[in-house]
Amino acid sequence: MSLTWRRPGRARLPRGEGPWAWLAAGSVSLSLLLLALLLGLLAVRGLGTFWPSEVAQLTLTDGSTVAGRPVKTSPLPDGEGRERLYRTDNRDLNGDIWTWIPVDDIEREAYPRDLVVLERSRWSAFIGRLVAWRPADGEQREGAAAWEALQASLAEHRRQRDTIERLKERRLLPLARRLEAEGEVPALVASLEDVQARIRALRAAMKGDLVVMESVDGRRIRQPVEEIMRARRPNAMSSVDRFLAWGHRVWRFLSEGPRAGNVEDGVWPAIFGTILMVMLMSLLVTPFGVLAAVYLNEVAHQGRLTRLVRIGVRNLAGVPSIVYGVFGLGVFVYGIGGQIDRWFFEQTLPSPTFGTGGLLWSSLTLALLTLPVVIVATEEGLSRIPDRQREGALALGATRLEMLTRVVLPMAMPAMLTGVILAVARAAGEVAPLMLVGVAKLAPQVPLDGEFPYLHLERKFMHLGYHIFDTAFHGNDVQAAMPIVYGSALLLVLVILVLNLTAIFLRHHLRSRHGSLSRY
Amino acid sequence: MHDSPASPLLRRRLRQGRDRLATALITAGGIGVIAAVMAIGVFLFVEVLPLFWHGASTAPQVNVDTLWLPQSYPGLDEPVYRWEPALPEGDPGPRFSLAPLAWGTLEAAAWSLVVAVPLALGAAAHSALFMSRRLRAAIKPTLELMEALPGVVIGFLAGLVLAPWLEAHLGLGLTLLLLVPPGVVLGGALWSRLPGRLRRRLPLGWSALWLLPWLLLLWSLAKWLAPWLEGWWFDGDLRAWLAVHLGLDYVSRNAIIVGMAMGFAVMPTIYALAEDALSGVPTSLAEGAQALGATRWQTLCRVVLPAAAPGVFSAVMIGAGRAVGETMIVLIASGNTALMTASPLDGLRSLAASIAIELPEAAPGGTHYRVLLLAALLLFLFTFLVNTLAEVVRGRLRRRYRRMGDSP
Repeated sequence: MSLTWRRPGRARLPRGEGPWAWLAAGSVSLSLLLLALLLGLLAVRGLGTFWPSEVAQLTLTDGSTVAGRPVKTSPLPDGEGRERLYRTDNRDLNGDIWTWIPVDDIEREAYPRDLVVLERSRWSAFIGRLVAWRPADGEQREGAAAWEALQASLAEHRRQRDTIERLKERRLLPLARRLEAEGEVPALVASLEDVQARIRALRAAMKGDLVVMESVDGRRIRQPVEEIMRARRPNAMSSVDRFLAWGHRVWRFLSEGPRAGNVEDGVWPAIFGTILMVMLMSLLVTPFGVLAAVYLNEVAHQGRLTRLVRIGVRNLAGVPSIVYGVFGLGVFVYGIGGQIDRWFFEQTLPSPTFGTGGLLWSSLTLALLTLPVVIVATEEGLSRIPDRQREGALALGATRLEMLTRVVLPMAMPAMLTGVILAVARAAGEVAPLMLVGVAKLAPQVPLDGEFPYLHLERKFMHLGYHIFDTAFHGNDVQAAMPIVYGSALLLVLVILVLNLTAIFLRHHLRSRHGSLSRY
Repeated sequence: MHDSPASPLLRRRLRQGRDRLATALITAGGIGVIAAVMAIGVFLFVEVLPLFWHGASTAPQVNVDTLWLPQSYPGLDEPVYRWEPALPEGDPGPRFSLAPLAWGTLEAAAWSLVVAVPLALGAAAHSALFMSRRLRAAIKPTLELMEALPGVVIGFLAGLVLAPWLEAHLGLGLTLLLLVPPGVVLGGALWSRLPGRLRRRLPLGWSALWLLPWLLLLWSLAKWLAPWLEGWWFDGDLRAWLAVHLGLDYVSRNAIIVGMAMGFAVMPTIYALAEDALSGVPTSLAEGAQALGATRWQTLCRVVLPAAAPGVFSAVMIGAGRAVGETMIVLIASGNTALMTASPLDGLRSLAASIAIELPEAAPGGTHYRVLLLAALLLFLFTFLVNTLAEVVRGRLRRRYRRMGDSP
């Protein structure tokens, strides 16, 4: 069809195809446009929300002053003019962190370089000016000296916090565990008390430093330095500083746990939970899926029954995931889990150990859910291997097992890999069944730690997809949760896209290889 | 085995024994795995049975009538459908009517098919017959990626981005709907008026790409036209007009939003299967039609589509099956109000979403639990039947193609 264009000199115009052909072309374009919009929106919002944007100081027509970051603008309810939402923070002063301001009321907008944003562990962030730095002992500093002193003292605090964390991690916890195991040995008790005293001393040393802050409308607060995590002057930052701050924020998003009702800091436990669950699932699904596929394709008598079973397995891939969730809840959690509890964990009943949702049940459920994917992909790979390979092996005297393990399975390897990757990609995005069998809004402990038996299969875990759902729809403040939600969504989509691209690449590779194999 | 100098006979026995053992293991394992997967239906059936079979179980509160027919409850004038499982025991007691949930499920699936089917079939027709081969090799995997997007992300964007946007720009949404199809056709008409050289730069085979800027242009045109259109037809406010003239109340998260989001999610599935069916038609048929002077579109309508109709049908069936069972999108984007209204601007609640929300709280073995399991069984049966039908149709089609291809 397109050949007509290549012939020089005889390029003929194609006849008109009528409106429907254009509508068909338009539907491809529209789908592509929608996909691009979706991915673009996720990328821009997901990466952009962590950008340390400038803080505006507004003077309103009634003379009052407000400082905050603009979030969005929308028309006023009565249709006249527009209003803008500012994130003004200062929850301790205002009672809220958001302020709607009609655009017409803004008289002057400025970006003063001395506006300070404090990230605090209590309340919300604070936007205002630094008035003075007051150490516990020593003299008060003001102006530029106060800013430098504050930064120095924050660095000092960070070091001390790290020291305390290390002490807790390396000394206190092992000691406590040994005490629990060995009973009240006096030497242990003494060293435990010693460590505790050191931690108390470090904590006490951190107390006492204060900063006096003033909001833009002139209200002052005294802020203990120990509650401040970071202090920035976003309007005075250069673009390199901004970029570094952005990178730091993204890193914290990836590596830290959630704070303040899941809307601050990071999603590390969710990332970890997702990966761990998916890994367990692929460990479960790969052998069983391959086994079933080998049975169906190599061992079973190829009759009517096998064909029916094959159609059945294929169709199970189309059964809604929530149905698998129901099965997991009824059979694994209430059935098997409840029985395990009655046998092995009777002392803790009625509070369930395995009789409630957990990591093991989630991975099992998802393994069942993705089993058809692996079976179908592996079978496809097996059926692509020409029969003369098998016949050649058998003719040389190999038994069926040898033929399978030495000839057929190595050749079907890429197909199996494709199946497993597709299964992983599907499992990583699946949320509905997990809501029934073990995902948690906020899991206090990661399912993998240094305590025997290291991998805690009965614990609930956090999951990126559920994290998106929960923070976006069950939080108190949807607007405040948006950065985290967009970030998680982008992360999830990226992971799934990469997995799928790998699978597509592998399959393509496989087709071209076996295409050449089975041609003659 | 490599260090045993035993007689060849013994070695052969050993190998054969191992082979038999492995075959037995594979058979047992394979049958076990398949049985485990198939056990889902059996489990649901067994768990649901006590609802209807009053044996030793406590007096069940439901039967076929209470689940599917309107019931009169004390305090209400006429029989109604109600899904209120959380009401406390006694008076008035929980109300289990699956009808509104089934209605919500079907409504959501229907709207998503309204969105997805034209898009998917149009795209499939275009990429099977018109698109250049190189572009097609890139577009197919792209749309496959689209299929893999997790429902929770699509639902989140639909519920928190699309729904508020559409609520604020209802007029623009309607204008886009009215403007884009004729706009695309107009683009085609303009294209055929272009001078030959320029037209060769923009071949029809690549129109999927060069229509993108045209679509963006249409978008800005719609933005400019929307207030004008809204003022002229709808007294300046479409939402108020809907409320006054049609009596429709616009809910932010409604069936249309669900339809758009789920249509977007289902479209790649339908596209991939329909495209396979269309491009699997033996090329001799299409070439014959074109040699007799048919345009490509005529070829598609008269020759390719009738030949591939079962495949296209099964693609739509599989899409419908997916739409019925999709949980997260409906859960997030629908508002989850169990209503039985035909208005696409109302919220809805689907079977799958109800299961996801309520099952963790339902006491195992109780009526509520079993009714939800019945809902799951319905979903299972529906999707299983639909998929089986589609699979059988597809198998027939494949054999038909083979016959057509063999007999030139």
